[in-house]
Amino acid sequence: MTTILQRAAINYLRSSARSSSHAASAGSHGDWKLWKNLSLFVAMPAVGLGMLNAYLAHAEEHHERPEFVPYEYLRVRTKRFPWGDGQKSLFHNPHVNALPSGYEDH
Amino acid sequence: MKNNFNHPYHLVDFSPWPLTGAIGVMTLVTGMIKWFHNFNMNLLILGYIIIIMTMYQWWRDICREGTLQGKHTMMVTKGLRWGMILFIISEIFFFISFFWAFFHSSLSPNIQIGSMWPPLSIIPFNPFQIPLLNTIILITSGVTVTWAHHAIMMNNKSQMTQGLFFTIILGIYFTMLQAYEYIEAPFSIADSIYGSTFFMATGFHGLHVMIGTLFLLICLIRHLKNHFSKNHHFGFEAAAWYWHFVDVVWLFLYISIYWWGN
Repeated sequence: MTTILQRAAINYLRSSARSSSHAASAGSHGDWKLWKNLSLFVAMPAVGLGMLNAYLAHAEEHHERPEFVPYEYLRVRTKRFPWGDGQKSLFHNPHVNALPSGYEDH
Repeated sequence: MKNNFNHPYHLVDFSPWPLTGAIGVMTLVTGMIKWFHNFNMNLLILGYIIIIMTMYQWWRDICREGTLQGKHTMMVTKGLRWGMILFIISEIFFFISFFWAFFHSSLSPNIQIGSMWPPLSIIPFNPFQIPLLNTIILITSGVTVTWAHHAIMMNNKSQMTQGLFFTIILGIYFTMLQAYEYIEAPFSIADSIYGSTFFMATGFHGLHVMIGTLFLLICLIRHLKNHFSKNHHFGFEAAAWYWHFVDVVWLFLYISIYWWGN
């Protein structure tokens, strides 16, 4: 994984160095073929490996939510949210996000 | 390049859009505060309408002036470059404020959150799963946008289209993955300073990704309408600068908030 990251980082640095030097002299000749090959044969396969890695790790993960404890610094509701009933955050997910009174399906 | 400019200054035509833009921004922010306090969206919606109308008409005028009227002389283009550079610098400072809040809170965690980071009972994301994939996606999109840039500099229309198309697809993919992470997140923006700094920083970054994707999409549409040429395509260059900026902000977010801060 670190090698993928390293390779990607090197590509990125190369690409930004190239693009900035070309922006200054827009008339100079750049070779798009190199960048197309880097995109299709280095970067895109790296994306594929990243997808595989994320998928496999996700599959073997345990989905246990922690027990509800009403800590004061969590589920802060000093003012209602300006939408809905004002108790649920924008990306509220009833399975993993408890309300100040506890999980909804409990 | 066209050289028949009317005068030697950085001027195009008189325009009402800076004024309507200023009125729109004032209305939008006032409306947002009204929404937060009174839960009434009327003024906010009015602000959005004014802003969206201003943006549409202002950028329509820029496209006309630059593409059809030949008013983007070397002098004007230089001004556009400086404008974009200064805008991106101001954006850097915008993000510095969120990083400041994050490091302020995480380097010496308060006793109220358990004197630890992440705070007691906060379960952060695993940085080597979807966040790592997102990092690879954004770096890849940096390579594809360079592919498009080199293609347009070599007058190759179809390669420019392909490179730009892949960049936009990668931007959309990133946004979809972030949306998935947000919905699956076991913490919310209301869960301690961790949730506040996390969603403030990554949320504004996500917004910038969406804006950058839209910017590149407009460039693709303009490219397909033959608005750009080998030596006259600053709109696209500005979009590429912006995209690299968004990319670099993500690298900092990934290293400090997702990785170190977990």
